[in-house]
Amino acid sequence: MGGATTTVHAGLATATPARMPMHGRWLDRQFVKLAVLPTTVLMLCVFGLPLLFSCFLSFRGWAPELGLFDGKFVGTGNYEDLLTDPDFMGSIRLTLIYTAATVSAELICGLGIALLLNIDLPYIAIFRTLLIVPMMITPVVAAFCWKLLLDPDHGVINYWIGEHVVWLGRPETALFAVALVAVWQSAPYVAILLLAGLRSLPHEPMEAARIDGASVWQMFRHITIPLLRPYIMVAVLLRTIFEFRAFDNIYVLTGGGPANSTMTLSQFTYLASFVRFDLSLGAAASWLMLLMSMVLCVVFMSTVRRRDAN
Amino acid sequence: MAALNYVGSRRGKLLFAAGVYLALTALTVAFLFPLVWIVGLSLKTRLQVFANPPLFLWWPTLENYVAVFGRADFLQAFINSLLVSSGAVTLSLCVGVPAAYAFARFAFFGRSFLFFGLLAMRMLPPIAVLVPMYVLFSKIGLTTTRSSVILAYTTFSLPLVVWIMRGFFEDLPRELEESAWVDGASRYQAFVHVVLPLIRPGLVAASILCLQLAWNDFLFSAVLTNNATRTLPVLMAAFSGGDTGVDWGGMTASGVLVILPVIVFSFLAQRHLVAGLSSGAVKG
Repeated sequence: MGGATTTVHAGLATATPARMPMHGRWLDRQFVKLAVLPTTVLMLCVFGLPLLFSCFLSFRGWAPELGLFDGKFVGTGNYEDLLTDPDFMGSIRLTLIYTAATVSAELICGLGIALLLNIDLPYIAIFRTLLIVPMMITPVVAAFCWKLLLDPDHGVINYWIGEHVVWLGRPETALFAVALVAVWQSAPYVAILLLAGLRSLPHEPMEAARIDGASVWQMFRHITIPLLRPYIMVAVLLRTIFEFRAFDNIYVLTGGGPANSTMTLSQFTYLASFVRFDLSLGAAASWLMLLMSMVLCVVFMSTVRRRDAN
Repeated sequence: MAALNYVGSRRGKLLFAAGVYLALTALTVAFLFPLVWIVGLSLKTRLQVFANPPLFLWWPTLENYVAVFGRADFLQAFINSLLVSSGAVTLSLCVGVPAAYAFARFAFFGRSFLFFGLLAMRMLPPIAVLVPMYVLFSKIGLTTTRSSVILAYTTFSLPLVVWIMRGFFEDLPRELEESAWVDGASRYQAFVHVVLPLIRPGLVAASILCLQLAWNDFLFSAVLTNNATRTLPVLMAAFSGGDTGVDWGGMTASGVLVILPVIVFSFLAQRHLVAGLSSGAVKG
């Protein structure tokens, strides 16, 4: 890529010397640098510097009334506090359970919907359009809708099941409710992703298997799933990354309660930083969270790379 | 798509098709019911909202919407949402589009650094950036301003712009600019006068996707705004924060008004929705 453009540039410089004054050519050579400079600066300002500062902050005892660099150095104190705090360790466990549960439910629902939508029948596009509506809704509003549906006294769900269930007031049902909202919003997204995959699969293996007398289930199990595998991987990794940071639905529905039963890492960090204003502890918690999601990102990138190489 | 071929008889095919339609209808009803019910609640009077058993047929009223439009805090939040989302999109486009072009066309120093930086920006949890951002912004007096929210939103909209636009630039034939260069145009002239006009559909798609993400964001604006600068999702969360209260009609009406613009926008950009949100992992 680079080779081709430099050749063209050299050709340009010799072919049209009259129209290219010296300073103009210098400025022209800086084009790429100037094009990426604003992005680099903005990235460092809103992402790079804050993360470095957060690392610094996590080794300090900082309070909002202190100057930026005035916090007392506490070494790894904040990290030790967190790792010995049963609430934080419970929150790690909960986040992993929540992520695994929502992602697998989204994958199963999404795959089912995608397989149905992939059948060649008239008007199937209408269903596709309607089914993706939940993924467009503002997450806070989506959670809020479910809060009214699940309301113990006036919610329509309790009316249907005919029982007075306090969905958000009991640990088991509260976790189920926040997960349900996430699956409701994201299963259509997984479905659309996998549908794109299904549409791009080659027909030949299917035809060959059909001639050889394979059953629909055998074809699905031994041809469709293996061929779809890269798409499934991408869907799973993307959803894992986004469910790992789950916040909006939990904040609105339960705020982490009851009895920490929905206290994900994002919610824990939010409460530590912006409710108790222990920002050093929050910085340490968010760095631990960052390290965990970096592991996910590495897996993600290696998958993408492998796909690019193919 | 091919599954229909594997069902033998004509009768079997019809039954199969009926089954598929039935399953899809059931799914669609299940997935859309919460939304339909909420829209329904927003069209009920207060007595009708709490009727037991719930009303499934009634004469709709617009009184909740009228009441919402009369609320100063809702209108203020609406304007704030509009300002910060469009501000974030504009900033991300101005900054990100030239970088996306450079990514698609040139080799340069720091290319992989920038690539990984942008990927990390998109993939790492936002709360990790928000904690230090809050501290830094509060010390330079930027918290509770709309500019702080705009800056914070670029952490997700900038990578998105670069990714989407890079794809569009890569699809554009290289010969277009090369002939402009041979004709004596500078890189800048070729970019502004030849490439940008051709890339307009990409710009529209990228802006819509960023607008949607910015409009839907809750975490950043919840931390970085106050009552005067808060956005719609923050106002909605304040409505429903503790108890759901008694004004269900008003709350559902404002919820519907919050999601209406995003749904309209999303349908406009439907084709790019998934490719964009999966950030380069899947080529649209």
